[in-house]
Amino acid sequence: MKKAVVALAFVLAHFFSRLCAASEGLDVPEALERKVPLDGLTGLSRFFASTYNDNLTLYAVICTVIMAIVGIVIAYGTDVILKAMGMEVHKIEHKE
Amino acid sequence: METGGGMFDIFLPIAGIHFNALILLAIGFAVGVLGGFFGVGGAWVVTPALNIFGFNMAYAIGTDLAHIFGKSIVATKKHGKMGNVDVKMGLVSILGSVLGVEVGARTVMWLTAKGEHVVGPVVRYSYMVMLFGLGFYMLYDYLTKDKRAAAKAAAAATMPPGQVPEKKYWNIPPMLSFPTSGVRISFWTIMGVFFLTGWLSGFLGVGGGFIRMPALIYLVGCPTAIAVGTDLFSVVFTGAWGCFTYAAKGRVEIVAALIMLVGASVGAQIGVTAVKYIHGYGIRLLFAIMVLLAGASVALKQFDVGKAAAYLVMCSALAMCLVIMVQMARGFMKERAEKAAGPGASAHK
Repeated sequence: MKKAVVALAFVLAHFFSRLCAASEGLDVPEALERKVPLDGLTGLSRFFASTYNDNLTLYAVICTVIMAIVGIVIAYGTDVILKAMGMEVHKIEHKE
Repeated sequence: METGGGMFDIFLPIAGIHFNALILLAIGFAVGVLGGFFGVGGAWVVTPALNIFGFNMAYAIGTDLAHIFGKSIVATKKHGKMGNVDVKMGLVSILGSVLGVEVGARTVMWLTAKGEHVVGPVVRYSYMVMLFGLGFYMLYDYLTKDKRAAAKAAAAATMPPGQVPEKKYWNIPPMLSFPTSGVRISFWTIMGVFFLTGWLSGFLGVGGGFIRMPALIYLVGCPTAIAVGTDLFSVVFTGAWGCFTYAAKGRVEIVAALIMLVGASVGAQIGVTAVKYIHGYGIRLLFAIMVLLAGASVALKQFDVGKAAAYLVMCSALAMCLVIMVQMARGFMKERAEKAAGPGASAHK
C-alpha cells in the first residue's frame, strides 16, 4: 500500500508540473497583473486583497489551506453537533 | 446582473463586485445536496449559476472549484462514516485518471492544432453524446431491472443445486481485491476503466465526477452508495488542485467560496444522509434524469441559447434538490414510525 501511495504521489507531482507548464500559455496577462484597490477594505477582506496584490502563489496556498481547514472543521464540527442531537450516522447496508 | 443594494449585500474585493450573501449560501446549499447525494463536484451547476448572477466566468470557475474542494471534504467524511468510501479504489482511480486526463488534454491540443473550427464542435458534440448516452443507458437499466432480476432468478432455478451462474471477467494478473466494495478485479481492467474516464474528463474539460460514478457502478461493479462515496473521495484531490491552480492565476474569490462552503456543508449533510434512505436504483434513476437535463443544457448552449441553458441547469438542480429532500424526509418518517412500532413490527412485514 505504501508503495502505491509513493507511486501515486510521484505520478501526481509529474502530472501537476506538466499541467503548470502547459497552462503557462493560457494565462491572461491582465488578470495576473491586476491589482485590487484596498481603499475601504478592512479585516479579512483587506488581508486577502493585499496578499492577492503582493504574491499570487502565496494567495493560492492560503486559499487551498483555508478551504481544507474550514472543510475539516465543518466536517468534524457537524459530526459532534449531530451526535449531540442523536442524529449520528452509522455504517449502512448497501442495497441496490 | 449584479446583485447589489440589499440587506445581505457584501463587497467581494477580488472579483470586484457586490453580491448577495444569501444567493451564495443558496447556490452552495443546492450543490451541496446534489454533490453529497450523487458524489459529484457539481461545477456544471455552480459555474453557470454564479455567472448568471454577475460573476465573470473565469472567477465563477475558480471560486466554484475552491468551494468544491472544501465541500468534498465534508461529504467524504460523512460518507466514510457510513462505510461508503473505498479508499484503495479511490487511490487507484486517481492514478488511472491522472494518466487519462493527460492523454485527453493532449487529444484536445492535437485537435486545436487542426483549427478552432474543429475542436469546439468535436468537444461539444462528444459531450452531448456522452451525457445523452449515459442518461438513456441508466434510464434503460432502471426500467429493465425487474425483468433482468426475473431472468436471473429463472436461470438460477434451472441450474442443479449448488451450482452458481458463471461470471465473465478478464482475470489477467495481477488481480486486486477491494474488500470495501466486495470486488476482485484485474489491475489492467481497473486501470483501463479509470484511464478511459480520465481521458473523457481531460478531453471534455470537466471534473469527471459524473463519469467516474457510473463507471464505478457499471464497469467495476461497486455498489451504488460506495460509488458515490469513493467518487467524492477522488473529488477531494481534483478539487484541491483546481483551487490552487485557479487561485495562482488570480481567479478565486475566496470570500465568496467560504460563504458557499457554509451553505454547501449544510446541503452535503442532507445529500449524504439521503443516500441512507434512497437505495441504489433510486440514486441511479435520479442521476440519469439529472444527466439528461445537463445534456439538454449543453445542447441549448450549442445552439447559442446560453442564458436559457444556464437557467435550465439551475432550475433542474433546484427541482432535484427538492426531490432528494422530500424522499429523505419520507424515509426518515418511515424509519421513525418503524422504530416507534418496535422491532417486532418490521419483522412481521
